[in-house]
Amino acid sequence: MLLAPVSNPAGAFTVSILNGPPKTLYLQVGVGGFTGIFPYYILGGVPGNNTTVNTESVAVPAAAVGNGTAQAMTTVSGVSASSYDGRAFCNVPAQLYIGGFYRTPGLGGGGSATVTATVPASLVDAAGDTLSFAQVSWTSGGGGDSGGEPFPAGSFSAGAVQTVGTIAQNQWAESCWTFSYSNTTVPAAGTYTGRVLYTLTAP
Amino acid sequence: MRPLALLAFCIIWLTALPAGAKSTLIDDSGTLPYDTPITLQWQQASPRPPVNNTLTGTTTIRVRLKVGPWLRRAGRIYLILPAQPLGSLTASWTTQGRLLAGRVTSGSRTLVYAGVVTTPFIEEVLQLTLSVDARQMRQLSHINFQFQMDED
Repeated sequence: MLLAPVSNPAGAFTVSILNGPPKTLYLQVGVGGFTGIFPYYILGGVPGNNTTVNTESVAVPAAAVGNGTAQAMTTVSGVSASSYDGRAFCNVPAQLYIGGFYRTPGLGGGGSATVTATVPASLVDAAGDTLSFAQVSWTSGGGGDSGGEPFPAGSFSAGAVQTVGTIAQNQWAESCWTFSYSNTTVPAAGTYTGRVLYTLTAP
Repeated sequence: MRPLALLAFCIIWLTALPAGAKSTLIDDSGTLPYDTPITLQWQQASPRPPVNNTLTGTTTIRVRLKVGPWLRRAGRIYLILPAQPLGSLTASWTTQGRLLAGRVTSGSRTLVYAGVVTTPFIEEVLQLTLSVDARQMRQLSHINFQFQMDED
C-alpha cells in the first residue's frame, strides 16, 4: 500500500532490537539429553544436559593380541534411534550415535560449528602401562544415509585435539560410528582405559 | 507495466488517498518507554524442516497520543512501520480496547482508530510483538513506529 505524504513529523516511539538470541548448540555422543513424551527433535523433544559418559570397549583374546587383526569395539550407549526423528539409525551395540545441531541468527557466511575430539596420548592400565590412542579408529554411516557423513571416518590422533565433524548453520547432523582397535602392538596384559572429550564449537 | 497491473495500482492508490485527505503524524512523545529494548528469541528452537528462522520478541508500551488538534473531528489513526534496512519485519499488537489490535509489516500501516476524537489524548497499552527473519539479523536496529492521523 502507498502511504500519504505527511506533514509535521511529531513523533516516533522506538523499539530497539538487541542482537538475536544466543547461538544454540547441541551435541550428543552416545546417550543424549532430549526429553519429552517423544524425545526427538521433530516431535517436540527438548534438548538438555546428560552427563552420562558412554564406553566403547573390546576384549582381545590372548591368542589374538598384536596379530594385526582389527578388533571391533562395542558401545554401552544403547542409542539406536535418531534423536532427530526417532527413526532406526544406528546398530547397537556395534555403533555409537553422534548428532547435534547449530542454531544461529545472521546471514550465512558465519561458517559451521565444529566438533573436536580432545584425545589423550594413551590409554592406561592400573599398572601404568600405556597403549596409544592411535590404535583406535572408526568408520561412519547411518541407516538410510547416502553420500558423505557429517562426522566422517577417522582415527584418533594421540595427544591431540582433532576435528571429527562439522554442523552447518541451522542444520541437524548425525552419524553412527563403528569403532575398532587396530591390534598391531603387544601391550602388557591389563585393562586399558582413556577418555576422549568431544566439544562442539561455533564460530 | 501491463494494463491490468496498472489498473490494480490505481485502485489501491485511490483507496489509500481519498480526495481531500490530509495525513499528519501524531505527537506520541508521551509514550513510555519511548525507546525500549527488546530481546528476540527463536520461534522454533530446533531447526526442524521446514526450518523456521523467525525470531520474535514482545514488549509492553504505554502509548499516549496527543490528538487535541483533532478534538471533536472525525479521523482515522494508523500505526506506521516504516521500511527497515534489516529487511522484512512484522509487528503485531494487542490492546485494551481504546485502539484496535492488529498487525503491520515494514513499509506499511494499519488502522488502529476510526471515528470522532473525543479527548485531547488517547492512551492505550500495547502488547507489541516483533517478528523478523533471523537470517537478516546482524546488528542492533532501532525500529521507529509512528502514528498518523488521516482526517475524514
